[in-house]
Amino acid sequence: MSSSTGNENQPAHVSLWPGQKELLKYLTLIAAVLALVSVNIKLDGNNDFGAQLAFSLLLALMFFLSICLGSLFLTLIHHLFDSTWSAPLRRVYENIATLIPWLAIPFGFLCLFGDQLYGWMAMESAGNPDHALHAKHAYLNKPFFYIRAIIYFSVWTWLANKLRYWSIRQDEEGTAECAFKMRKFAYMGVFLFAFTLTLAAIDWVKSLEHAWFSTMYGVYYFAGSVWTTLATLYALFLVLSKKGGPLEGIVGKRQFFDLGVLLFAFTVFYAYIHFSQYFLIWNANIPEETYYYVIRENGSWWDISMLIIFGHFFIPFLTLLRIDAKLSPAIVVPIAAWAWLMHYIDLSFNIMPVLHPEGFHWSYVWVDISCMVAIGGLLALKFIKKMDSAAPYPVKDPRLKEALEEQAIEREASEDAEMAKNGLQS
Amino acid sequence: MESESQKAYGLVAEFDTPADIMEAARQVRNLGFTKWDVHTPYPIHGMDQAMGMNNSKVGWFTFLGGITGFTTGYLMIWFMNAFDYPLIVGGKPMFSPYFAFPVGYELTILLGAFGTLFGMFFLNKLPRLHHPLLKNRNFAKVTHDKYFLVVEVEDPKFDESQIRELLTDNGSTNIELVEE
Repeated sequence: MSSSTGNENQPAHVSLWPGQKELLKYLTLIAAVLALVSVNIKLDGNNDFGAQLAFSLLLALMFFLSICLGSLFLTLIHHLFDSTWSAPLRRVYENIATLIPWLAIPFGFLCLFGDQLYGWMAMESAGNPDHALHAKHAYLNKPFFYIRAIIYFSVWTWLANKLRYWSIRQDEEGTAECAFKMRKFAYMGVFLFAFTLTLAAIDWVKSLEHAWFSTMYGVYYFAGSVWTTLATLYALFLVLSKKGGPLEGIVGKRQFFDLGVLLFAFTVFYAYIHFSQYFLIWNANIPEETYYYVIRENGSWWDISMLIIFGHFFIPFLTLLRIDAKLSPAIVVPIAAWAWLMHYIDLSFNIMPVLHPEGFHWSYVWVDISCMVAIGGLLALKFIKKMDSAAPYPVKDPRLKEALEEQAIEREASEDAEMAKNGLQS
Repeated sequence: MESESQKAYGLVAEFDTPADIMEAARQVRNLGFTKWDVHTPYPIHGMDQAMGMNNSKVGWFTFLGGITGFTTGYLMIWFMNAFDYPLIVGGKPMFSPYFAFPVGYELTILLGAFGTLFGMFFLNKLPRLHHPLLKNRNFAKVTHDKYFLVVEVEDPKFDESQIRELLTDNGSTNIELVEE
């Protein structure tokens, strides 16, 4: 293979623009300060300070947790299916997945505002007429909530770090043992992942309205998360594989096509899951379930729900439907940016009506953005550091050579297609 | 039976390796032939492009089938529940896009699949009872370990000696003229 670009086994220097680290540091700091200022906001009908910050922080946390967990999921299924096409992409997945422990910082901060966020935390269970509170007390109580949070973060951190550890050891030793180890973690990990993600989504977001039921909630968060992750990765890999980038000649057409196909599939999957959740509640028509969507039809939340139907599903679905659209950066990159906006809207739709039942919180969007920039900036800095600390792709993965050979064929095929097209024109 | 004057169908060239037939396909493509095909025991990655083929048109049939299915599903539910025999069930409206959706969705898939299958049949001119190539004994090896390139006589650029020369140069081990 002559496709090596001379950077094998060398750490990748991710340079998006000169002075990126300084800029990211300042951005993160300014955003964090701005977010902290918002602790003084006192909302109408709400006596607590810091409520807006708590909700915005939760939103930003869930947003970036989506991308980290989505990457962990892609690492797990890569090993489960022993797939060829994603071998060149694996290291970047691992680098993003191992950012999860950094999210414990915003989560720890969030714990300070537990009572403002979660109604059930603030309510006294004994003698309270709220039946749901009693019925769910065995699960929704403060000590168990925090113990569970510690378990989730430990499991994710442990899994992501173990997978990355053996992956880097494979770079050095290239022994079969490393591949088998990673597979073992994947077998166990996929169960642990499913349980922890489902419960985390229920604990942190669904329990905002503790009286509500939805058995689809975990998979609902999962679907939106992987969708956003794929959109993010598509754009990220375009940057990393550009001329002179660390993945030039390593990530090619096949990888982008499959990422695009998965993005398309998860567009449908998310819509399917969200529709199923809505439809069952609508059809059963039981007040303790319907109130959730009744709140979300008030004021501008109605428009937000419509935006989710059309923006989260129809626009990306119809745009990505054609086979060639999935390969066109000019189409997928705007869709990726749109996916970030839609995931933010989707999370707002889930989280914010608790605090702002009257409608979308236009005047406090800046708090959301500050929290997102603060967390996103921190993660971006750590991601660049991770990329700098190891080779940008698993250099001794047994499937890597296969993937690169496949790309050589792809390149030949594109040349063929180009020639055939020109031949027909002349 | 009555075919005293047998009409030729085309030239069938046998190849031993996928690399050989791929290169031959490129040559044939570059010469601008239109009525020719490649037959292999398994799909060869990159062959579509080597032959200069565009993306299949089956997708359009799938899309049309899907749209038809979706519309049919919605119209059917509306007709049955809100028009032909309106009946209030569980305090729900006579028609709502929500409960029509599962039916519309299933019919989208069903008619989309039909569109794919029958579109493929239509584009391949299937079903047909016979194909001239099946008369050629040698061609049976296509289901085992040989690769075949066929240029039809009806191709406007068909020139037997030129094609024989071209394909032999590209590693064809055996070339035969197959009759209709």
